[in-house]
Amino acid sequence: MTSIGTGYDLSASTYSPDGRIFQVEYANKAVENSGTAIGLKVKHGVVLAVEKLVHSKLLVPEANRRIQTIDRHIGLATAGLLADGRHLSNRARDEAANYRETYNSPAPLKDVADRLGLYVQAYTLYSSVRPFGISTILGAVDQDGPALYVVEPSGVFFGYNGAAVGKGRQLAKTELEKLKLSELSMREAVLEAARIIYLVHDDAKEKDFELEISWIGPDSGNLHVHVPKDLFDEAEAKAKAALETFE
Amino acid sequence: MDHFPTNWGRPRNDAFDAYGTYPIHQRPQNGPKDAFVDGVQRTQQPIVTGTSVLAIKFKDGIMMAADTLASYGSLARFKDVQRLFPVGDNTVIGAGGDMSDFQYIQTLLDGLTIDEFTAQDGHTLGPAEIHEYLAQVMYARRSKMNPLWNALLVGGVKDGKKFLAFVDLLGTTYSASTLATGYGAHIAQPLLRKAVEGYENVLTEEQALKIIETNMKVLFYRDARSLNKYQVAIITEQGVRISESKTLDTHWSFAEGIRGYGAQTQ
Amino acid sequence: MPAMVSTSQPVQQSFNPYTENGGTILAIAGADFSVIAGDTRQSEGYSIQTRYAPKVFRLTDKAVLAVNGFAADGNMFVKKVRQRLEWYRHAHAKDMPIRAIARLIQTMLYARRFFPFYVYNILGGIEEDGTGAVYSFDPVGSYEREACRAAGAAQSLVQPFLDNQIYFKNQTPAPGTAFPKHLPLSTVLPLVIDSFTSATERHIEVGDGLEIYIVLSKGSTALQGLQTVRGVQELTATNDGERVFVIRRELKKD
Repeated sequence: MTSIGTGYDLSASTYSPDGRIFQVEYANKAVENSGTAIGLKVKHGVVLAVEKLVHSKLLVPEANRRIQTIDRHIGLATAGLLADGRHLSNRARDEAANYRETYNSPAPLKDVADRLGLYVQAYTLYSSVRPFGISTILGAVDQDGPALYVVEPSGVFFGYNGAAVGKGRQLAKTELEKLKLSELSMREAVLEAARIIYLVHDDAKEKDFELEISWIGPDSGNLHVHVPKDLFDEAEAKAKAALETFE
Repeated sequence: MDHFPTNWGRPRNDAFDAYGTYPIHQRPQNGPKDAFVDGVQRTQQPIVTGTSVLAIKFKDGIMMAADTLASYGSLARFKDVQRLFPVGDNTVIGAGGDMSDFQYIQTLLDGLTIDEFTAQDGHTLGPAEIHEYLAQVMYARRSKMNPLWNALLVGGVKDGKKFLAFVDLLGTTYSASTLATGYGAHIAQPLLRKAVEGYENVLTEEQALKIIETNMKVLFYRDARSLNKYQVAIITEQGVRISESKTLDTHWSFAEGIRGYGAQTQ
Repeated sequence: MPAMVSTSQPVQQSFNPYTENGGTILAIAGADFSVIAGDTRQSEGYSIQTRYAPKVFRLTDKAVLAVNGFAADGNMFVKKVRQRLEWYRHAHAKDMPIRAIARLIQTMLYARRFFPFYVYNILGGIEEDGTGAVYSFDPVGSYEREACRAAGAAQSLVQPFLDNQIYFKNQTPAPGTAFPKHLPLSTVLPLVIDSFTSATERHIEVGDGLEIYIVLSKGSTALQGLQTVRGVQELTATNDGERVFVIRRELKKD
C-alpha cells in the first residue's frame, strides 16, 4: 500500500501525482471483501445469484437480501457494503419510476445503468463524501431482450454476457467463460449459477453462507423475482452434488 | 422540543439577522412571488367523458361492465376506449367521468403497484386497499378544490372475500352488492338490485353475465351518451379476466311505429 | 323568467366540494347509560347509494360518535378523531374521557372554520362520574351537553317528539307528581325505535336499517333488561367497567 502516509488517499477530491484516486481504489477493496455475486445473461433471460455470507447463526434466514427488485423487469445484486446497496437500489427504483413517468414505458436497462453510473460517479468528486463501497450487477429483460450491466465504485459501467463481483470473482469468471451462455435456457442458467456460487465459496476461510438466486424472463412471466422454492432446492442440491465430484 | 439542530442556541429575530444565523428553512420568504398563481387552471368541468359503469356480485366474485365510448359533449369522440383497468391480480377499477383524469389515476396505480412489487415483502394490494387509496386521493383532491372528475367502481376478490365499492370526485364512498355510476345509477341500479340482492352467493357466472348484458342493453337504448360496444371484467379467486369488446344486438324496428314527436307529421 | 340567451357576463360554474347524503341520527342520555342511534341509508338526491353505510361509530368503551351530513367528510372526520384517540392511548395508557373527546372534537371542527367538515356530530357515552352523557355539535364546533338530541335529515320530525317524550315539553304532570329527570333504558329504547320508524314513514332519506348503540356505566342496572333484547351484541373491548352494545333493526326500504 504505497498510498498510505502520502496524504493523497484521504479525500476523493484529490488525485495522487500519478493520476489515481485512492479513495475509489479503497472502495474496490470493500467490494473484494464481500461475498461473490454473479449474473448470467442467457438465451431468453437473466439470472442473478449471490453468496450471502452469514456472520451470525442468530440471523433470520432470507433476511437482509442482497438481490433487490428495481422495477417489474429489473433486478439488482450488489457486492460490498450492504447499506450502500440498499441506498443505490432505492435510487435505481426512483430512476426507473422517473423514466416511466417521463416516457410512459418501462426503462431500458442501459438507461438505468447510465443514470446510476452518473450518480455513483458524483460520489468520486467531493471531499465531503465517500465513494460507494459496492459493485452492482443489474439484470433485466427489456425492449431489446436480456441485458446485464455492472456499475463499479468509480461510476463506470459495462455491459456483460456474464458478470462476477466480490471475493470469488476470478474463479467465477473462469467458470462463466466455460459456459455457452447464449445457448443456455433459464433453468440451466439457474443450476449453473448455483453451482458456481457453491464452487467459489471458500469454506476453509468463510463461515456459513446463504445462496440467493433470482431470475427474469419468460419463465418468470418477465418479472424479476427470486426463483421458486422447488427450483431453488433442486439447484442447491445439484450444486452440492457437483462439489462432491469436483473434489 | 425544537427538532432542527441548526436552530439550537442561536439568536432569533424575524426582522433583522445581522450575522446571517437565522436558519435557512425558516427565513421569511422575500423572493419574487409566482406571477401566475391567479392563472393556474384546475379541472372545473369534465371534458372527454365516459358514461355508466355497472358492477354486481355473483357466486364466484365480481362482474363489472362499461362501454367503450368517450364523449366530447354530445359528440361520440372516441369509440374504442378502455374504461376497465386491472390493478394487480385481484382487482379491477371501472371509471365514468373525465377520461384524462382516469388515465392519470391509472398512472398513479401503476406506480403504486410497482412500489409494492419491488418491496418483495410477500404482501400484495387487494381491492379493499386499492379502494381506500383511491378514496384518500379523491378526497384530498376535492379538498384542494382540484378534483379528479370521476366516479369509480372498485371490485375484486381476495382471500375468499368479495369486495365491491364506489368512490367519486367528492371522496364519497359506499359499498353494496350492486353498483352503478352516472346514468346507470338511475336506470340500471333498480334492475340490478332486483336481479341480484339476496342472490349474491347463488348467481352463476352465466346468469350474472346475462344480467349485465340486459342492463347494458337497457342503457344503450336509453342513454344518449352510450355505445353498443362494451367490455366485461370478471374477477374471481383465480384472477382477473377482461373481455374483448362485445357488441350488443339491438332492434329498432319498433321506432317505425312511434308517432307524436320527431319528423313525422302523422 | 330566465333569458334564453344570456346578455350578462359569462358565469363560471365552479366546483362544489360538498353534497348531502341524508339519514338521521339521535342520542339520548339516561342516568347511567347512553343510547346513540342512526339509520344506515346513504343517499344523494333521489338516489339511494347504499342501504348499509354506518353513521354511528364506537370510539372507545365509553364513547360512541354519530356523524351525519356529507358522508365523505364524516368518514374522514371519524378517521381523524380515532387517530387522535389512539395517540392519546399511546401517550397516557388509557382511553380519553368523553368530556375531553367532546372538547377535542370542537377543536378539530373549529380548525376547519373556513372550509368546514359539513357534518353534524352527536357524541354519546359515559362521563368519568358514571353518568350518561350526550354532546351535540354544529359543523364548526359549537357544542353543549344535553339529555337528548336528534340531527340530520329528519331532525325536524324527531326532535319535537323527543322534546315531548324525554323533556315532557307541553305536558303537565298529574297533581302531586313530578316528571322523572331520567328515563329507564326500557322506556328509551322503544322511543328510539319509534322515532326511526316514524321518520322512515315521513322522510324519503331515512330508512333501510337502524343501528342502536348502548353504552352502560359501571354496574348499570339497565344490563339485565338489555340482555333479553332480541339480537343484542356486545362490543366491549376493555375491562374498565363500561360496556358497549349494539342492536340492529330493519327499517322500511321504500
